[in-house]
Amino acid sequence: VIDEEDLDGPLRELELALLESDVEMSVAEEILDQIRDDLVGEERKFTESTGALVEDALRDALLSVIDVNGFDFEEAIAESEKPVTVVFTGVNGVGKTTTIAKLAKRLEDQGYSVVLANGDTYRAGANEQLQEHADNLGVKLISHEQGGDPTAVVYDAVEYAEANDIDVVLGDTAGRLHTSSDLMTQLEKLDRVVDPDYTVFVDEAVAGQDAVNRAREFDDAAAIDGTILTMADADSQGGAAISVSHVTGKPILFLGTGQGYDDIQKFDPEALVDDLLED
Amino acid sequence: MVLDDLGSSLRGTLDKLRGKSRISEEDVDEIVKEIQRSLLQADVDVSLVMELSDSIEERALEEEPPGGTSARDHVLRIVYEELVDLVGESTEIPLENQTILLAGLQGSGKTTTAAKMAWWFSKKGLRPAVIQTDTFRPGAYDQAKQMTERAEVAFYGDPDEDDPVKIARDGLEATEDADVHIVDTAGRHALEDDLINEIEDIESAVEPDRSLLVLDAAIGQGAKDQAREFDDSIGIDGVAITKLDGTAKGGGALTAVDETGSTIAFLGSGETVQDIERFEPDSFISRLLGM
Ligand SMILES: Nc1nc2c(ncn2[C@@H]2O[C@H](COP(=O)(O)OP(=O)(O)OP(=O)(O)O)[C@@H](O)[C@H]2O)c(=O)[nH]1
Ligand SMILES: Nc1nc2c(ncn2[C@@H]2O[C@H](COP(=O)(O)OP(=O)(O)OP(=O)(O)O)[C@@H](O)[C@H]2O)c(=O)[nH]1
Ligand SMILES: [K+]
Ligand SMILES: [Mg+2]
Ligand SMILES: [Mg+2]
Repeated sequence: VIDEEDLDGPLRELELALLESDVEMSVAEEILDQIRDDLVGEERKFTESTGALVEDALRDALLSVIDVNGFDFEEAIAESEKPVTVVFTGVNGVGKTTTIAKLAKRLEDQGYSVVLANGDTYRAGANEQLQEHADNLGVKLISHEQGGDPTAVVYDAVEYAEANDIDVVLGDTAGRLHTSSDLMTQLEKLDRVVDPDYTVFVDEAVAGQDAVNRAREFDDAAAIDGTILTMADADSQGGAAISVSHVTGKPILFLGTGQGYDDIQKFDPEALVDDLLED
Repeated sequence: MVLDDLGSSLRGTLDKLRGKSRISEEDVDEIVKEIQRSLLQADVDVSLVMELSDSIEERALEEEPPGGTSARDHVLRIVYEELVDLVGESTEIPLENQTILLAGLQGSGKTTTAAKMAWWFSKKGLRPAVIQTDTFRPGAYDQAKQMTERAEVAFYGDPDEDDPVKIARDGLEATEDADVHIVDTAGRHALEDDLINEIEDIESAVEPDRSLLVLDAAIGQGAKDQAREFDDSIGIDGVAITKLDGTAKGGGALTAVDETGSTIAFLGSGETVQDIERFEPDSFISRLLGM
């Protein structure tokens, strides 16, 4: 029979391993508590070491956090009444705009028509950036002057889609830190007025402990249906996927794996857990 | 702000030592655990945290407090010294003619920081120019141009040229009149060999007086490998931490300075060109420890 003391050493090691993989500390602690609860009092088969038991329990615990069913982006697009509007949110510089360009290409390749809306009326060069993507991909972009109202831009794009029989509206937003209450209020307004079919939160796989704070705050401002993690090609440890899923209870939809338009992959929970457990 | 929770949690723990003249192993153990927690929650590299806390633990147990020093002040002094050792001075940025190369991961804040630094130098009475060599990211030219207009500083870029090395060379020539040249580069990470080679070529062409790594305050444990690769390829003299106006603690910067043997140069805390300050280690650590 396994008692708590047998687990102390392996669990402490595990905690450091999770932190080394960028799992947020309180999330790591909850995962460890679950493993402790699962294992204490269990009959041990004499062939199994405590380490192996802990690893199995960890695999289960991690999978239970990230393997959340319920929302498959492509199924959702297929099944929703058209036009379907998707708004992308997230902090500064995580790859929202690039991800929108990638998804526009992916959806066009799948036979949908797409219009982009530049709800980033704030950052220098934002219109030029998304315009260049739209030109490269041959899709329409709706944008307003810098300083305009982002809600109005996305609203216009939805009207454009309705008038022109476009299937999908992909709405960009300006990056903002969750500590900026003005900008978070603006996001709430956009969510309320546009009432998008789906809200996708974008973060980067290289993010550390802060991933939980921003996921929570963005989810509060405009409820998240799923997350896309970019920069997965930068050899990140993958812990951010665990942290963000844990906080939002919503699936990771895709990983961004580079700067090219095709560098986007459907997220595979099993593969991520394998990666996490590898070292 | 960087690590600002360490201050409060550590003070809480240290306050339990108030009035004590001797520290028990248990006391030290508790303090060290608290320090570890704070540093880990700030995204400092796990092995660096262990090194730091081991040396704090060892010194707290072995070194005799100087006569009349309370246990609390003794431990506080040790923590202070260890942090000073790690953080070092602020990167030296002389107010004279120079070329500065900015490097870093995609979206870390290089272009914004280039404009901010240019603004900072112009406030110090120097004439800066920003040179945008990012030929890859859509809108990079316009972004840098608009940001430098906001900063009211000189700018060079060439949206029709696709060789960043040529832009860098042409830019230095075209902005000859400027005192300070700040060379912005496209985002890249450690595993992108082509892009790492590219920045090595830019570095050779520009011969910067200093190269700064621009690091997002929220970066996790990857900071170590990223910093090492940038240091190996172009040599990192200082770190600029960005997005400190959020809740991220910026511990990746401590990892990076440890890994590269460099120091912290600038702190960025907003999207406008004025949102920049020089890193001040003394006030930083004192505030951190509540001294
Ligand atoms: N390596 C890599 N780079 C990426 C990935 N996704 C985006 N990028 C790069 O990250 C940088 C920032 O991307 P953007 O799409 O502008 O990010 P954003 O979130 O829209 O930024 P703001 O609008 O300023 O908040 C760009 O240089 C992109 O090319 C990815 O999956 N891998
Ligand atoms: N809140 C906040 N945002 C910042 C700060 N520094 C930069 N940003 C934002 O972060 C995003 C990325 O900044 P950029 O300057 O484009 O980053 P970059 O490193 O040049 O990006 P690439 O060229 O694509 O690699 C933009 O939305 C900036 O406005 C900061 O200190 N605080
Ligand atoms: K980034
Ligand atoms: Mg954007
Ligand atoms: Mg840039």
